[in-house]
Amino acid sequence: MIKRIIPAILVISIFFMLLKVMTNITPKYDLTGVSKTYAEQGASDLGAMNLVTAIVVTYRGLDTLGEVAVLFMAGTGIALLLRRKKKKKGSVAKKREASEILQTGSKLLVPIIMMFGAYIFINGHLSPGGGFQGGAAIASAVMLMFLADNSFKINHKVFGLIESLSGMFYVIIGILGLVMIGADHFLDSRLLPLGEFGKILSAGTIPIIYTLVGLKVGTELASIIDNMKGDLE
Amino acid sequence: MNITNIVHIIGFALILIGFWGMLTQKNMIKIILGLAIVEVGVQLVMVAFGFIEGRTAPILDSAVELSKASELIVDPVPQALVLTAIVIGVAVNALMLTFVIRLYQKKRSLSINDYKDLKW
Amino acid sequence: MVNPIYIIAILLGLGFLLPSLNKTGIKVTGTIFFLGILAVSVISFQWLAAFAFDGQELKMIFTAGFEPPMSINLQMGLNEAVIISLINFGALLGAIYSFRYFAENGVQALVVFLLFILGMNGLVLTRDIFNIFVFLEITSIATYILIGMDLRLKSLSAGFKYMIAGGIATVFLLLGIILIYSKTGTLNLDGMIAAVSIAGSSQILFVGVFILIFSVLIELKVFPANGWALDVYEGSDTGISAMISATSATALLFVLYKVLPLASMDLTQIIVLIGVLTFVVSNLFAIKQKSTNRLLGYSSIGQIGLLIFVIASKDVLGANFEKIFFGLLISHFLAKAGLFWLSGIVKAEKIKGWVKIKKNPILIFAFGTFIFALMGFPPFPSLAAKWSLVMILAENGSFLWISLILIASLLEVLYLLRWFGYIIKLEDSEEKVEKSNHQLVPIYVVTVLLYVAGFYLTRSFDAGLTINFIPLALVGILFLIDFLPAYVKNTLVLAAISYYGYNLVPELDTLKMIFALIFLVGGILTFIPGYSVKGKRIGFYPVAVMMYVGLVGLIEATTFFEFFFAWELMTVGSYFLILRGKRSMPHALSYILFSAGGAYLILFGFALSGAETGSVLLTSLSDVHIYATVVFILLALGFMTKTASVGLHIWLPGAHAEAESDVSPMVSAVLLKAGVFGLIILFIAMRNNDVSNLFYILGWVGAITALLGNIIASFQEDAKKLLAYSSIAQLGYILFALALMTNVGWLGAIWYSINHFLYKALLFLAVGAIVMKLKTHNMYEMGGLIKKMPMSFISVMIGIIALSGVPPLSGFGGKWLLYNAFILKGWYFQGAIIAFSGVVAFLYLWKLIYSIFLGPIKDKHRKMTEVSVWYLIPQYLIIGILMFIAMKPRMILEKVGISLKEYLPEDTVTWNGNAASTFADGKLFGVWDPFYIMIIVMVLFGTLLAFLLVASRKATKVKMFNVVYSAERPESPQTTHFSYNMFSHYRKAMGFLALPLVSNFWDFITDLFHSTSDFFRKFYNGSAQSYIVHIISFVVFFYFILNGGIF
Repeated sequence: MIKRIIPAILVISIFFMLLKVMTNITPKYDLTGVSKTYAEQGASDLGAMNLVTAIVVTYRGLDTLGEVAVLFMAGTGIALLLRRKKKKKGSVAKKREASEILQTGSKLLVPIIMMFGAYIFINGHLSPGGGFQGGAAIASAVMLMFLADNSFKINHKVFGLIESLSGMFYVIIGILGLVMIGADHFLDSRLLPLGEFGKILSAGTIPIIYTLVGLKVGTELASIIDNMKGDLE
Repeated sequence: MNITNIVHIIGFALILIGFWGMLTQKNMIKIILGLAIVEVGVQLVMVAFGFIEGRTAPILDSAVELSKASELIVDPVPQALVLTAIVIGVAVNALMLTFVIRLYQKKRSLSINDYKDLKW
Repeated sequence: MVNPIYIIAILLGLGFLLPSLNKTGIKVTGTIFFLGILAVSVISFQWLAAFAFDGQELKMIFTAGFEPPMSINLQMGLNEAVIISLINFGALLGAIYSFRYFAENGVQALVVFLLFILGMNGLVLTRDIFNIFVFLEITSIATYILIGMDLRLKSLSAGFKYMIAGGIATVFLLLGIILIYSKTGTLNLDGMIAAVSIAGSSQILFVGVFILIFSVLIELKVFPANGWALDVYEGSDTGISAMISATSATALLFVLYKVLPLASMDLTQIIVLIGVLTFVVSNLFAIKQKSTNRLLGYSSIGQIGLLIFVIASKDVLGANFEKIFFGLLISHFLAKAGLFWLSGIVKAEKIKGWVKIKKNPILIFAFGTFIFALMGFPPFPSLAAKWSLVMILAENGSFLWISLILIASLLEVLYLLRWFGYIIKLEDSEEKVEKSNHQLVPIYVVTVLLYVAGFYLTRSFDAGLTINFIPLALVGILFLIDFLPAYVKNTLVLAAISYYGYNLVPELDTLKMIFALIFLVGGILTFIPGYSVKGKRIGFYPVAVMMYVGLVGLIEATTFFEFFFAWELMTVGSYFLILRGKRSMPHALSYILFSAGGAYLILFGFALSGAETGSVLLTSLSDVHIYATVVFILLALGFMTKTASVGLHIWLPGAHAEAESDVSPMVSAVLLKAGVFGLIILFIAMRNNDVSNLFYILGWVGAITALLGNIIASFQEDAKKLLAYSSIAQLGYILFALALMTNVGWLGAIWYSINHFLYKALLFLAVGAIVMKLKTHNMYEMGGLIKKMPMSFISVMIGIIALSGVPPLSGFGGKWLLYNAFILKGWYFQGAIIAFSGVVAFLYLWKLIYSIFLGPIKDKHRKMTEVSVWYLIPQYLIIGILMFIAMKPRMILEKVGISLKEYLPEDTVTWNGNAASTFADGKLFGVWDPFYIMIIVMVLFGTLLAFLLVASRKATKVKMFNVVYSAERPESPQTTHFSYNMFSHYRKAMGFLALPLVSNFWDFITDLFHSTSDFFRKFYNGSAQSYIVHIISFVVFFYFILNGGIF
């Protein structure tokens, strides 16, 4: 009991700190500051229906590039930390086979989930979703395959290449903005024409970037899952 | 009490619960979970700060008239931020768990008190 | 100009690219890796050069083609350029150093390191608060991976603790960002700062800014939320620790700098407090630390604390902020990176294990450079920075901060130099240092850079402009030519001193000329014995010259800073000199501690004076009135650490006795006069400032010092210690004479200074040479050497006659002046003590000559011959000078007396031919005619000698066996020696005066610090959960303080 006293005091202290915030929150009635500008100009500036996407990919594109870097680095780091010693063949501990339902169901579901993931990132500028969400969906399909099939292995070469190339292209698109438009246009999505508002092929480079991000996130998360699923030493 | 307040309260509550977990649990995985809960709480609070009652999502489809967009949608900025925060949170948590996996292999213990070799 | 966006693009692009090139092998990926870092370094240097030389203006870079606040923008200004240049160059060196470590872990490690650099650059450049969060995460995650990737238990658990702490900081940061955003509607930092200043007191804003800044502080590892950080420093690979301590701390400091304008006045004050607290506590905890990397960790955290303090005091520091900040930062950056890298090469877990590098002069040199740069000694940039910091703080009346910073700096000196002492002085270990060039190059580079930075940054301060670096260049050259044989360097040094003196001396006024002559002639006389040393005498000449450069610098100084710079230079040089002795480690440490403490008192005193008068000239001390008493006490105490007045003397006996034979006269005869010179400067300047009570106290201090010094000297068995205590006493006379503040008294003081310089140099040279030859310090192991070393005997004979003050030699003149002065002044009690201690002096002088030269000779000394001629030459030169000034004191004293009239206008000594006389109320008071005295003494002496020669014809010569005749063999044979415990009967009467009360007092103080340190550092108990408690307590504690309560 006595050991709980200090945590209790601390949590209560934080409670009072948050209480101060809580009691002072005033309900919001209007957009203010930068969000108002986004709402007013976002559509005409970038031609993306989904304003969140416009913000994520273009206005705050540097954040997103950093975010991709974080995820990439986490994947790299996990691979580095969980690197295996070269093991002899056949030393893999035997695992129970997945159930019939899982095996069959996965065959049905994996392509659909993959397609859904792709849909999410390709339509990121039109509807809720985007590269990260789509990538996560794709990775979940890969995870399903791991669960369904003990012997399933991802092709590290292909995955690695997709990861590298999509990342590279992302950076290159950013630099193209600098080269083709001007010094202050890194990651500017208006590199390509904005196209017709509301169509798939619109909003400049946003769909391309989101596709690259989707591929990258999907492969990265899949690799993380692969690394973490065990078989160490 | 409107819906914003409820989300705020839930968010703050999660933060407190998460901290309580971090402060009282000895199992490293539970401590990480505690941190994850705090993160979720913060993310909820973030989203809640962008919410405006009676408005729709910041997607300029047929439901939103373009010229009046700023009067019809909620604040898109916190949503964009949360997206980034979530992804980064995931990355950090995954990495933390990896550390725990490796630590466990060294000492076969998940108790945080068994890793006090470095001190003073 | 290359767009700084390319820094981000290059690092990120290469990071994405490298894994796919894994197949091509480490050579290709490694090359690309280095090219990438090189490219970003070049970009940052290009900007730096543009700002520094081309007057480039601050540049904003937008992204995505929109202006902020809509998009994220980067800012490139002079500060940013400096910081990223530092970071990228540091990272380049770090990459070179750690490349093997990376290569072992594969291409992924290279990727992570690239992104690590990216994160830091982003942190510095971005002007968007959420973008700071993203880059902070990139930096942190990269750090976690770099720490953990070697998969050792230590590094993994350290990394885990770091991640927990980082995680908490992250959630606070996010919460802070969203709270501020909800009130300001922008994420752009500049917009936020503007909005916050308009918004006024909103509670949400208050909490938001508070936790935002505190999360940055947690990342900066402030006390007490930093237990994890120490484990990180200790547990990580040293190459990574170097990066954490140098590069990423720099980036984070800059983040604090950027977000600080958001903070309210109260919050800024709290940050100031936290910074100082961190500096003090880290250094306090460090003194008990034995583990190398953890010690470095404490030191890092301390330095960062000081830098946090500087950042938070930005408004106070005003125009000098950048110089101070960069002066301290660059010193820390280069030195700490270098130290961690060195630690990686030495591979010694405990600091005592560093003795391994003893045989590597270059590594020792590098190590010395690093720690002296950290402590803020010349010529490093931290000196001028710390100086300016203290000056400005004094102007603002922040005396508490000054005291704390100086105390913590002293603690830093303690543990760093103790460590240095271990390296130089511990028994050599068998282990060798494994060196590989790629690890050495970065160390060499930062070493050189520290000197370059020292030169440029010191000169960037107004105060530093007048510093004369040319003599310092001589020190540098001596370091470079240290491979030459000793006699070459000796000749060079003698030539340099002579040349410099020839140019300098004629331009000085009388007082300064006297001291310049003491320093320069002293230099020449004490370097001559150097010819007797064979071999190279590595390390001797640079440090000896450094001391003399400092001494001469004191003479030439006109401003506070010049004086302080020279003072520190002299201190460092003499520290190294003393450290060279065989058993000198503890004594050298206590010497430097007292000296550094004294220097900080002087610094504080100058700062107070400058704060009141607004002037930086030494002469402006006379205008101090409000702080007069404090300034006087601080400065006097500071100078008295060098003159070793009672209470501050405990370093002297060991330091002088254990020094090398030709170093003892340097540090005794010459060095102590620096303290006298300081006191003279002080007394002259402040003679009219209503501090006469203090002069009175100093008079007593001088008298007591004289008495105790002489009594303790009488009880010494060690010949050099005897001389050392005698120096303490002599300096007591001088202090007493100065404190009289009369013309005659000062004449006495200066006469004493000259004479003490001469006869103490003579005695130390003579006795030192004998000690070196006999390989013992103990006088009871000597005896009967008069026939073996007649020349030395004559030297010592002359020396003790001069010292004792019996006619006819010059010591008599000193006594005559002193007695006249105190009687005229009316200080009878003190005068009586002085006179009595003069009598006591005969005891040890008799012991000195009797034990060494008279009586039966020891068996093992029968084949002894005269000491080296190189020691005799300066002795006889000194004897010549002594004789000359004994005959013609007027030549010096008259001039001095006249020049003193400017400050002390009352009656001086009147000269008539060779005779001096003093007057009281117009009546003749005392007369001294050296010529007649000489004749009288000669006649008396001749008569006595003749009588003895006649009377001693019948005497039997005493032989060895006449002394030790019978009975059992005593347990300790030395007790039968006639000079062992020679004055035990006096000890019974006066021994209580010789009790080591003062040493006990200082031992108590050090023990107090050590036990406090040991007790409180247990606070860092190693549990990650405790660290969580610390962090959260830290945040809520200060929250409630700022908030004024719970609600």
